[in-house]
Amino acid sequence: MKIKTEQIHFSEGLSLESGERLDSFDLIIESYGELNESKSNAILLCHAFSGNHHAAGEDEELGIGWWDQIVGPKKAIDTEKYYVVCCNNLGGCAGSSGPTTINAATNKVFGKDFPLVTVDDWVNSQKMLMDKLDIPYWHLVAGGSLGGMQALQWSIAYPDKIKKAGIFAAAAKSSTQNIAMNEVARESIRKDKNFHNGDYYDHNVTPKNGIKTARMLGHITYLSEELMDSRFGRKFQDEASKVDQDVDFEVENYLQYKGEKFSEFFDANSYILMTKAMDGYDAGKGRDIEEAMENIKAELLIVGFYSDWLYPAERGKEIQIAGMNNNIKSSFVVFDGEHGHDSFLFHSKEYSNVIKKFIES
Amino acid sequence: MATKLTKIINHWVPENSKVIDFGCGDGSLLKELIETKNILGYGVEINNLKIEKCIEKGVPVIKQDIDKGMNEFKSSNFDLSIMARSIQCLKNPDLALNRMLELSKRCVVTLPNLGYWRCRINLASGKMPVTPELPSSWYETENIHLCTIKDFENLCKKENIKIKDKVFLNKDGSRGGLASIKPNLLAVEGVYLLEK
Repeated sequence: MKIKTEQIHFSEGLSLESGERLDSFDLIIESYGELNESKSNAILLCHAFSGNHHAAGEDEELGIGWWDQIVGPKKAIDTEKYYVVCCNNLGGCAGSSGPTTINAATNKVFGKDFPLVTVDDWVNSQKMLMDKLDIPYWHLVAGGSLGGMQALQWSIAYPDKIKKAGIFAAAAKSSTQNIAMNEVARESIRKDKNFHNGDYYDHNVTPKNGIKTARMLGHITYLSEELMDSRFGRKFQDEASKVDQDVDFEVENYLQYKGEKFSEFFDANSYILMTKAMDGYDAGKGRDIEEAMENIKAELLIVGFYSDWLYPAERGKEIQIAGMNNNIKSSFVVFDGEHGHDSFLFHSKEYSNVIKKFIES
Repeated sequence: MATKLTKIINHWVPENSKVIDFGCGDGSLLKELIETKNILGYGVEINNLKIEKCIEKGVPVIKQDIDKGMNEFKSSNFDLSIMARSIQCLKNPDLALNRMLELSKRCVVTLPNLGYWRCRINLASGKMPVTPELPSSWYETENIHLCTIKDFENLCKKENIKIKDKVFLNKDGSRGGLASIKPNLLAVEGVYLLEK
């Protein structure tokens, strides 16, 4: 599969939900497949909080794409039939404008001064991307977790520009528990002595320990109790492959390893920004989500997983019910899912079939 | 199967109405009603393979165990709810009937008739009925609450549910004829339009 990577500049800037303004910005995107003549086969993928534009295929630097099990030739989202686009969201740290990029006004990295961005801002920037790519509408916008929130927001904000929305392992708003978990993660970053109140770039350090702890907590919430049990149990880590001498159990070693790897590339200010965007999202903007959804024209496919306790299937069902109350064609499917919240990332025959049939029906 | 049922209940389904089909299976009944009556239809199904078939047909579907409740559908203002050949699989058929009539003014229920003569012959010979309409053995059937036409109508009376219309089906799926002469003995299936 051919991966096309582009850096796209938006000199027109973007007014943000917070009232602040980005005078100009960049989005880095990947695309797979070809836009057909009638421009009717475009699909937008939205990434979850720590994801990026590299959704599918293998890249020398970025490895295998985050949704490679679902997206590719002859896969559920078939790149031989569809033109598939994925961008790194604003505020990220994989190439789009964010805390690690240069602020043209000061000629220094934005750092903690990068403005607060929201799911709505992302969707608005993706709409600008759509226009720039000369795509009249998306046949499908899909994503899991925070990506699913973007797919839902697309159907609310641009009802005429989206035919179908795939909302997987997501909710119409973050729960109190979600916010609480994210706050623990943020606190561990803020309390790292290398954080320097977000200005660590000036000190040539990164709050690696804080990011690592945050990610370790994150991983616990992404997995299910059952999976942790079956994968690690109470097995001890063998001496030779211990990442740290303090480690006893395999699960400790796993979290240490994952956290360490993540802390080597993910930016702390981005982490804070992305989790804030996730916490802040509320499709209803304080109102009932049913009211917010009344203008949706897209067909909705909402998928939940029984093993997901971070965004339980019931949260997805609420979106479907609100859709049905608004006479929107909406389906709600639940699978067992072996991987907890992360289940949306993994192929299973029934999950892939449902996605494929939804796209093609 | 669905084609015949569609023909029978077609005139009970208003054009452009909002319909929910509990135990919708592969969605073929809803698909036909969408095509012939331009309804807005939603199916409720528990089996993932059947759900996949609904999505393939473009029929909106919700994964749900009906036994675990139907209350969430109350706010959706359905004109009609349907339960075709499923009510005998539920833990609480009486509750389900009442719930259906809470969430829509009218409902269509179809059920296999355990009073059908073939079933009676089976029972008379000392065995649980196994017929073309009820093909599974007692230990593997999903039909945990089978009843006769008479039983069902008695339940409706007890629950103050009005039978607005009813059709009895012969073995070949046709209506009228023998089935309507002595339904409790001669009909394989009863099809009801109910109101509270």
